[in-house]
This record gives sequence, structure tokens and C-alpha cells, in this order.
Amino acid sequence: MPSLGGFLKKKRTKDSAIASQTDTPASPVRDTQSSAPSKTPSKPLSASDNPAPAPQPTNNSTLQQTYSLDQPKAKDEPMNAAAFSPPTASPAATPHQTQQNVPTIQNLLNKPDDHQQNLSAPANGTLTIPATPTAPQMQPLRATKGKYNLADFKIERTLGTGSFGRVHLVQSKHNQRYYAVKVLKKAQVVKMKQVEHTNDERKMLQRVKHPFLITLWGTFQDSKNLYMVMDFVEGGELFSLLRKSQRFPNPVAKFYAAEVTLALDYLHSFNIIYRDLKPENLLLDRHGHLKITDFGFAKEVPDITWTLCGTPDYLAPEVVASKGYNKSVDWWSLGILIFEMLCGFTPFWDGGSPMKIYENILKGRVKYPPYIHPDAQDLLQKLITHDLTKRLGNLVGGSKDIMTHPWFAEVTWDRLAKKDIDAPYVPPVKAGAGDASQFDKYPEESEKYGQEGDDPYGKYFKDF
Amino acid sequence: MSLPPDYANELSTLNREILKHKPADVLQFCANHFLRRLESQRAEYLLAQQHSTANGKGMAESSFPGSNPFKSSSSPGLPADQQARGMHSLEEEDENDQVASPTASSFPRNIMGATNNNTNSHADSFKAGSSPPAAASAGTGAMDSQSFPSNYNMNRRTSVSAESLNPQSSVNDNWTPPFHKKTADQQQRLRAAVSGNFLFAHLDDEQSTAVLGALQEKPIPAKDIKIITQGDVGDYFYVVEGGTFDIYVSASGKLEAGPDGLGKKVNTVSSGGSFGELALMYNAPRAATVVSTGPSTLWALDRVTFRRILMDTAFQRRRMYESFLEEVPLLQSLTPYERSKIADALETVKFPPGSHIIREGEVGESFFLLESGDAEVYKRGVEKAVKMYKKGDYFGELALLNDAPRAASVVSKTDVKVAKLGKDGFQRLLGPVEGIMRRIDYEADGAVDPLAT
Repeated sequence: MPSLGGFLKKKRTKDSAIASQTDTPASPVRDTQSSAPSKTPSKPLSASDNPAPAPQPTNNSTLQQTYSLDQPKAKDEPMNAAAFSPPTASPAATPHQTQQNVPTIQNLLNKPDDHQQNLSAPANGTLTIPATPTAPQMQPLRATKGKYNLADFKIERTLGTGSFGRVHLVQSKHNQRYYAVKVLKKAQVVKMKQVEHTNDERKMLQRVKHPFLITLWGTFQDSKNLYMVMDFVEGGELFSLLRKSQRFPNPVAKFYAAEVTLALDYLHSFNIIYRDLKPENLLLDRHGHLKITDFGFAKEVPDITWTLCGTPDYLAPEVVASKGYNKSVDWWSLGILIFEMLCGFTPFWDGGSPMKIYENILKGRVKYPPYIHPDAQDLLQKLITHDLTKRLGNLVGGSKDIMTHPWFAEVTWDRLAKKDIDAPYVPPVKAGAGDASQFDKYPEESEKYGQEGDDPYGKYFKDF
Repeated sequence: MSLPPDYANELSTLNREILKHKPADVLQFCANHFLRRLESQRAEYLLAQQHSTANGKGMAESSFPGSNPFKSSSSPGLPADQQARGMHSLEEEDENDQVASPTASSFPRNIMGATNNNTNSHADSFKAGSSPPAAASAGTGAMDSQSFPSNYNMNRRTSVSAESLNPQSSVNDNWTPPFHKKTADQQQRLRAAVSGNFLFAHLDDEQSTAVLGALQEKPIPAKDIKIITQGDVGDYFYVVEGGTFDIYVSASGKLEAGPDGLGKKVNTVSSGGSFGELALMYNAPRAATVVSTGPSTLWALDRVTFRRILMDTAFQRRRMYESFLEEVPLLQSLTPYERSKIADALETVKFPPGSHIIREGEVGESFFLLESGDAEVYKRGVEKAVKMYKKGDYFGELALLNDAPRAASVVSKTDVKVAKLGKDGFQRLLGPVEGIMRRIDYEADGAVDPLAT
């Protein structure tokens, strides 16, 4: 059995001396007066943005404790845009914080946005702003609608492409920081019948805040496109690292799997099902910790849902069979992800056609290569199972059953949640802010953004 | 003297394996286990070492360029501080060169820079050695090639999605699947044509009747008509009733202009064959072009119809299960979510007339809901049936509670379909039934704790 001693000794994931400005979450639009941001701060919240009470977690995970412990205890948090436009990030005037992995009393007692009160001179002599809490917390809905516009950003290279658009690296003209903007073509979204999914993507992202989930800063639209302003996560896709490595050593796969487990557990505690787990959707931050991105299929599902969506290799059998399915499809996908990290390929893959993959999924036979550790295999067999009365995560113990599985024995979950365990690989992001070298190159598109004209589809995307 | 933690760890893994597999030949099992562990540990060791010397070798395909977050690549489960005490010193040193030890009190100032240089050179070697991993031949590569699928797709995989469907809304709009009459002969042929297709193989009778009914006849008047076009969106699945069709695949992934635009002819389908089935799952570009070779007839089925039939029937069955479950006093206190979880786990079992569903005196392990048909209850020593079960009735629920033998036999009178749930499955999902029963006890009217004043 694991001993507690394992991770009690302090180690730091990052060196505060080389802290980057990108570590500090900050709204792309600089507030000119920190108390009253200049950009549409008082815009009335739209109906769907009403600060509805955050959903109550339904599963009794042990981590719930962690969440509440690290929740900012501040009393009077205003529920408007200003509350989520953290420090007046003026690089010249304000020193930047390290993304601290040390939970301090300050962090626990003061909400991070109260940076004014928290300015303090730490031991190492540089001024720091207390970190955003790195542990999960429940969020009131933050206002994201129409918060920015195209003129706030300088659009740079493409970081990735998808079926309805692409993701650009952008630089805020206000604070010079870098962000990623996902641009979706409205016509394409409508044509592919993904209006509901796209609106859900915005809605779900707006509700979540977790160290291993991407942050949505705001959304806007023009006549042709939808724009979602998100963190720029410099380390590139876990996918690229995995393909370069072919497969990961057991403890490395375990590390990433554990971070994903925490993120999924957090989402599920809000009844949010993610539905598109795969290495392509996992980004590495500059310290090598994961961020789950692409909430294109995320949705609030209290019990069951029916739509077939996801990525062929990662679909659970009950999704393939159109039976109606619940959150436990994410745990199935976690099994596939762990398998792929350990082996370099997915268990049901077939070169013939996607239909063959689905046939294999329904048959459910998995061949475990001999190099898989017995504990890992045991966990995989309990995740990649058709029998919903046997699939871990779906049972009476909930996600606890996964976290207490022997394969995860050496993971100290509360420290992991604070990014307090060194990542196995630190991406070589060297050029500082805005270095996109870890992302593959894509051909750029010439179509100009921000065109005026007919907007036949705007009515479908009122919340953007 | 205490035993080395590495050893303790290996043993506890072995213990778990023994418990799990309960081998008859213990010694052989242990030998196999340790051989496998050795192979896996050495492979990982090689992986790490290969990496540390990979700079010049261009053999980085199977090497991970980082360190071990838990410092226990050879012995998972070991606390990090113990690991760091030089258990596998070679490996540790290699890794510590790159990233500071987890127990170091502070991070060296230049560590990021060092890491950058280091990993960067690996990135270069990745480029040099970016051949498909199947081509790897030495070291770990040889081992991997045993299990690594050839021509594995190394590219990014795109997400797929069907139209959002919501059973609630379809209940309201009174949708019924289209029905196109077919002769018994045609039905027979269609059934045979789709029997090999897994999408149809797992349908129940009700679903497959509805699906076959929805197939629509589509006469094709002439030759050279493109039924589906490679690269186009696909909404229909086709079964060939008469005539033949040629299948072409163009290397570019879509139909090109010009005489050779169709690409290579890869196959021909004739009566009883089918094509375009992926369209029944979601809207994906067609993988081939299919062209008629003469006047012919097809049966066509579109995705939305197919998926709605599946969803509506599955949804109705779920609703039925959930309402059945509401009737069971033993399970009265379940929340709707718990009932839905149980409904997920119910397994449909069919019995021909005259078969025993449960047998008096046997140990009960499952609980049954009668979905369709009639069943009779017999007791030993009583000639006639003592009771009759019909749709919506349930029996055997006491099996969830204890291991008492069945008090009576239940025999199917007609064809019977039951939904079955095992005690073990129930307990895994919701915990012991006793706990659930206890909830009611406290909620029941007038129940007063004897110790209450």
C-alpha cells in the first residue's frame, strides 16, 4: 500500500524566477480601472447567463472535500463580468505571479481577484500576486457573451483545424498576452447540424473552472463566424507527444490518466458529460500539466442521453448501439485513453473501416500486450467493459473506485489537483509568451474575419 | 531487517493477481507472472535508456523524452521518496539530469533552459526517425512489432456526430416510422441481406420489424447512375434488390473530374448486397462511389429514420422498465437516477413456452421483470398453477435480499420476454439492498424507533 510519505516532501513544478506572464489568467481586455472594467462590464446578463445556482454535485466523491476546501472563501463575490476579469494585467506596471503550487493561507482566505489586498513581498524578493486557486471550485456562471470583439485581437497563425473552423493564436491588443481563439463558421455548424452542440459547448465552458480544463474568456460573433476566446496552452497536444514517443512508460501514462480522472470527476460532479476524450483534445501547459480542450460534445446530462457522438476509436458500445447512455461513457473512454498511452494504439482499431471498429467495440475483445503492468490491465478491464454493473465509475463508489484502484496507488490526489506533482515532461517552450512551436503547422486560410453582411444563422447563436 | 519496498510491492501485485485469477497451478502462475513483470520492466528500462542515448541514434520512435512523475517506473506503488533513494540508480541519474528530483528542496534556476535544450534535441531526433513505428526493428521496437497493428492510423482522428436526438421531443410530435409494404419474399431477402451487418444484428424483433418496414424501394432506371459519390455527405443506406452496382475508390478521397475520376473499381455488389451503412451512424463523407450497371432496384433507409426507430424503441423500453421498477416495493425508495441505472443494467432474456424461468428450491440469484408473454407459478405438491404472471409483473425479487431458495417455480406459458437483473450487479451499482430497504423503514408512516421516547 502507498505510504503517505511519498509526496510529503515539497517539490516545485515550476521555477518562480522564470514565471511567464501567461501563467496569470487575465482577461484579454485590460481593465482600465480595475474596479470597473471598461469593456461592457455592466452589460445585463442574458437570460441563459443568469447566475443560476451552480448545480449540486451528485456524486459523493472524496474530492468534493478538496473542492470546497480550496474554494475561495470570500464572501461578496460579485456575479458579473468584472469578477472574472482578473488582475489589470498591465505587464509593465504589475508584476506577474508564478502559478503557485503552494497553497497558502492567503490563497485559501482571499479570493484571487482581490489582488489588491494580496500584494505581498514573498521570500524570494519578487513581488507576486497570489495565484488563482489551482484546485477545482464551483463557479457561478460567468458572463462570456459579446465580451470582446475582433478588434481586440491580433490574429496570428493557425494552431489547429476542425470540421467547422480553426483555432488561431491571437494576441490581445490590450495586454499583449496570447490567447487561442476558436473560429467556427456558422454556416458549416448549421449544415453539420451541430447548433445544439455548439451552444452547449459555450454553455458548459462558461460554467467550469478547473486547473485541468481550458478557460473560456469570452465569445463573440460576426456575420459569418462564432469566436471563442480561450487560454493559449503552449505545450501542444498530448497527441503529438504520444505519437513521437510511440508509447508512454507506465508511470507517465498514469500521471496523465490521473489528471484526466480529476477533470472528468469534476465535470461529472456537475452532471456534465464530456464525450470526446482522446489525446488530440489534451493540451500540455508550459509545465507539462494537462488541459482538456474542445468541449464540442460536452453537455449537461443528469441521467441519459442518446446522440451518437465522439471519436470512433473511443466510443463506448452503448453509444455505438444507440441504447441511450450515461456519464460512464467517459470512463470507458478513459480506459481507451490509458490503453493508447501505454500501447501507442487503440484496442479496437481496424484499418478496414470505421464500421469494423464499431464491430470490434461491440464484440469487446481486447488483447492486452504483455508489457502492460498487471495493475494497469486490471483497471483497463474494469473500464473497458460492456457490463455497466462492472464498469468502474458507474458503480456505487463512483469515481472513487477509479482513484483508489491499485494502479493509481501512488497518486496523491489532492496534491495532483494542485499541480503539486512534477509533470513527467516539460514542453520545450522557449521563446516565451506566444511561442507556438509545439503545435503542428497548418495551411492558413485567406478568408477575412469580421466581414459585414447577411447573417442568416445569427438567430441560432444568440448567446455568443 | 525489513524487506525492500520494491519486493513488497511486487509481492502485493502478485497477491492481487493470485486473488483475481485463482490459479490452479500456483507455482506456474507465479513464474509466468514474474517473467512478464521482468519483460515489462526491462522494456521500460530500455525505453528510458534508449532515450537517454537517443540523441545520436535516431531511434527515438519508442522513447518518451521525459521523466517519471512518480519515480517508480519499475515498481509502481512505491512512495516517491523511497524511489528516489537510488533504487534504480542508473535510470534515476539519467532522468535527474533533465528534471530536478522531486525531493530537491528547490528547483535549479536554469532547469527550464536545460530541459529545453535537452528535449529539443530529442524533438530533432523525432523528425529524423519519424518513420512509422511498425518499421522499428531493434530493441523495444522488436517487442512492439508483435502487437503493434500494421498500418495503424497515426494521424489526428476527427470527431463524428449524428444529429441531436431527444426522445422526449419525439414523444410529443407523435412520430411514427414510415412503413413501406413488402412481400413476404422481399422481407425474407431483406432480412438475409442485413443479417451480417452488426447494426441490424443487435436489433430486437420490434426494432428490426420497424426498420425493415421503413426501407423504401428505389428503382434505378439505367446504367451509369451514381448512387453515392465518394467524398459527398451520406444520409442513406442501400440494399440491392436486383441488378448489380460497381464500387470505385479514388485515391484522392473524393470523386474527381475527368474519365478516370472514379478511381479504381474495387468491388461489385449484386442482389442481397448492401452499401453505405456508415451513413446510418452519422454524417461522414462517403468512402466510395457506387455506380449502377443497368436498370436495377434498391432499398433505401435514411439515418434519421433508422436512429429514431432505435431510440424510440429503446426509450420506450426504458420507460417501461422504470415504471416496472417503481412498482416493486423492495425498490420503492430508489431515486429516479438509481432506477435509470438499474434500467441500464437490465438484460433481456427470452424463453420459449414451457421453460423454467426460476426453479423452486434453487438458490435465487436474479430478479425478473416480465416484459411480454404469460408465465405460471407452480409449487411442489400442487397440481395446478397457483398464480399467473403477465406483462408488468415481477418475481424473484427476494433474491436481491438473501440467498434463500426459490419458494416456487415460474414457467413460461407463452413466448416470454423478461428483463433480468442479477443480485451481484445490483449490489455493484447501488450497494446492498438491505441499505436501500432501510431507507423506507425510516420513511414509512408511523415508524418509530423503539428507543425513541
